Amino acid sequence: MATPGFGGKILLVNLSNKEIRALDTEKYEPFGGGHGIATALFWEFCVLPGDWDLQDAFNPKNMVALVTGPVSGTGVPWGARTSVSGLSPQCYPIQWFSHSNFGGMFGTFMKMAGWDGVAVIGRAESPVYINVVDDKVTIEDAKDLWGLTTWKCQEEIWKKSGIQYGQEWQEIDDRYTLQRPAIVTIGAAGENMTRVASLVHGGGSGAGQGGFGGVFGSKNLKAIAFLGTKGIKIADPKGLKDAREWYDKTWPSGPGFGGFGGGAGEVNSCCIACGHQRKCHNRTRAYSQDSDDCAESTWFSLTKEDAGGLDPRGPEISLMNRKGTDIVQQLGINGMETCFQGPMAFPTSHNPDFPIQPEVPAYSALGWYMKRMYDMGIIGPGTKYDMSPLNMDKFPSMQFMEIYGIALANRYGIGNMLAEGTARFCEALGRTDDFGTICRQTMWGFMDHWSMPGVDWAYGNLMDSRDINSHDMGMGNPSGGFGGFGGGGGKKWTCEDYVKVLAERTTGNNHYWFDFSWEGKQAYKTGIFSKHKAEFVAWRQHYWTYYKESVGYCDWGYAKLFNNSHPKGYGHTPEAEPKYLNAVTGRNHTFQDGLEIGRRAWNLKRAIFVLQGRHRKMEKFTGYYYKPGASYCGFDADKPIFDGKNWEWKNCKELYFTEDGVEQWKNHFYEVEGWDKDSGYPKRKTLEGLGLKDVADVLKSKDKLA
Amino acid sequence: MAKDKNKVPDNAEKKKFSRRDFLAFGGAAVAGGALAVYAPQKAEAREKEEYPESSKYLICDSKHCAGCYGCMIACSLVHEGQVNLSLSRIQVHRAVLEQYPADIKINTCRQCPEPLCVINCPTGACHISKENGNIRMINADDCIGCKTCIKSCPVIPHRPVWNHLTEKSTKCDLCTDTPYYNKKGGINGSQACVEACVANALKVVTELPDQTDSNGYDRNLQPPRKPMPNFFGPPKAKTNHG
Repeated sequence: MATPGFGGKILLVNLSNKEIRALDTEKYEPFGGGHGIATALFWEFCVLPGDWDLQDAFNPKNMVALVTGPVSGTGVPWGARTSVSGLSPQCYPIQWFSHSNFGGMFGTFMKMAGWDGVAVIGRAESPVYINVVDDKVTIEDAKDLWGLTTWKCQEEIWKKSGIQYGQEWQEIDDRYTLQRPAIVTIGAAGENMTRVASLVHGGGSGAGQGGFGGVFGSKNLKAIAFLGTKGIKIADPKGLKDAREWYDKTWPSGPGFGGFGGGAGEVNSCCIACGHQRKCHNRTRAYSQDSDDCAESTWFSLTKEDAGGLDPRGPEISLMNRKGTDIVQQLGINGMETCFQGPMAFPTSHNPDFPIQPEVPAYSALGWYMKRMYDMGIIGPGTKYDMSPLNMDKFPSMQFMEIYGIALANRYGIGNMLAEGTARFCEALGRTDDFGTICRQTMWGFMDHWSMPGVDWAYGNLMDSRDINSHDMGMGNPSGGFGGFGGGGGKKWTCEDYVKVLAERTTGNNHYWFDFSWEGKQAYKTGIFSKHKAEFVAWRQHYWTYYKESVGYCDWGYAKLFNNSHPKGYGHTPEAEPKYLNAVTGRNHTFQDGLEIGRRAWNLKRAIFVLQGRHRKMEKFTGYYYKPGASYCGFDADKPIFDGKNWEWKNCKELYFTEDGVEQWKNHFYEVEGWDKDSGYPKRKTLEGLGLKDVADVLKSKDKLA
Repeated sequence: MAKDKNKVPDNAEKKKFSRRDFLAFGGAAVAGGALAVYAPQKAEAREKEEYPESSKYLICDSKHCAGCYGCMIACSLVHEGQVNLSLSRIQVHRAVLEQYPADIKINTCRQCPEPLCVINCPTGACHISKENGNIRMINADDCIGCKTCIKSCPVIPHRPVWNHLTEKSTKCDLCTDTPYYNKKGGINGSQACVEACVANALKVVTELPDQTDSNGYDRNLQPPRKPMPNFFGPPKAKTNHG
């Protein structure tokens, strides 16, 4: 019997033979939920059969799994995410097992129908969509939906459901609902199997990173729709209400800053039971009807003027941005990966030795890089790369942006090259050296968020398979602004006191986890190349794997180690996470128990990476990380520095890695994780300690066990 | 003995006034279904003094609703001990691709001054609770699951909610009967939906809302807006492109 908070079943659909199975969630609960469960499903149904090489995301044997977590739909604030996992066509050079996630109603509606997730393997002969109404699962013909935009597709499925918005209750087997199905779908970008295709749900929720829209397209899967009339069991309803009130009382201002939809006080709509200040979407926007997010809203900030410096919402430029957002959403394109220039239009480093010259905006991706290649004469007239259907004379303009999106999503002309994503576009041009310079790849085929000087974020990128997009721990001076998105105003904090709070709230109680010393011996002793930093990155990955990617807590709400509105500076981590979870599930898990579940899923994923070809030798940053100026554009430049005696805030905009330092850090990290230092492969002892003996046996049989 | 849930008992055939009758008589369903203007009518209804007005009403602000469904989750949680959108006695309906403000509709029980659900209930289960400020509420023990209250409700969608688990009707009682609430609800207590709302879009008021205007139960509940803290700094108006 499933634990309260879970739906109890996971739907497994094989589109090749139309087999529909209901798996018992309980079996997979040791992996937490969401991405953790999806990792276990991938292992069982894609790795264990051993009948393919785990290399091609478009292989019908690949699985795309959409799984939510135990808090989703229960009223827990910032807890309605649905994870998307599978081999990612965007990842480069190997299409790693990766993931994305999205919010909105989908996860909740899935659970209301009694399901914790849906995993799809195989390939349909012709376009289909999966329709779920409570226990009834059907594979429906979608020929009439193929070719529709994501919005139009949803409208058509709503029509088919027979439920009219604003009208009377709909009866389903003597149960009633006023809701229409929650749908996740793809647009042209997914149908044409681009590597930058997103999954879109509603008007603005989407899973962009990873290119999973293309995986849907490769399976001839247009959409998945859930409608449910069941309930979600809550172990302790009063305790859940208590937890929510405890939170409101303790942190009346909530975490972080207002959402990109407008901030506190605006008119917004967002995820199920999202709380307080975080509101991602804005109901009132005329063009982007409900869609708005950081990258998407600025996808077509074609020039720095359009990006408006730091403000993507100037009165005139916003119109263009919003129109661009609509294009991204309707065609199902990953806006973050394909944008021209986002809101962070800082100049890059002033340092003349920095390789990213001339100026590259801090938030730029495929569109910007293509334009740069055109300006440099690498593509376009006089080259073998025809720009049609793009008319570069029309750049920048509304017309240009529309054609860019349409060409990309449909693989028209130059769009066919662009549809392969930035890394493969570089490769096609024979310019992979650009990864470490003007292309600004973090690694694994993802544009950098300009995470530095957030070294823990950068290390997370390196050890995972994507830009981990983890905004939670800025660790900058809270008196100066962000402070891990918990600072700003209020009390002034000494560096030492601040670090003390962070150390306490991680439960690790190690101040050196937060030392950003990056020069000299101190960098190796307590700073960014030390064992302490390795321990913190491991902690963060375990936290992130469980609490965010598996439980379903939102990146904007969790983790929060620090909050300046609390008299002691405490953020809600580590108390809120287990408090909510235990009320929902009835378990008595500690915060540490959650980290251990995260470590289990993280190690299982490591095993999949290793089977795909991951090796220590591959885990290297691209060039600019090793150059002075690598951190110039990053937020939160004031970081805690320990000089051997004292802590003080120091501006780290010149922070950069050294190759030797990173190699030393890797030694520490592999050791902390229980992986082999030479290969990066997990050790049997590590896997068996996590209850993964069978995984160790498989690695051994492939000669991939340390 | 299993009962036929859809069969209206004989005594219920003596209903005073059905929803269909009401609409035919002169009530007008407003487009979008949020409200039917409540035209005074009597047919066989009893004297008005038999239906004392409720002392409190739940009103909403659909233009400022965040669309998060937190109220629905809270409602089903405190009443039923589970999260179930189908069992929530407040119903938010969100159509994300509709243009604002038509993208969200909030359906709250109106605690009607002349409550057809009460008038037509064949068993008295749906009643006016004098000890609870004259709230119109359903006593589950007396409910026979005939759905008469549901069919009598003059507005679309109907506000009484069918509980498929208990096979009885329920309706908003302003949290009077909330076994899973961590505090006192009801007329002198708090309401879980109001507490859960992050957008200040729900409120309990004492005055009878305007019955002739669709804004009676759906109105601006926001305090004057404070300037928005702008993380990105002051906006720039200048652009090269219009």
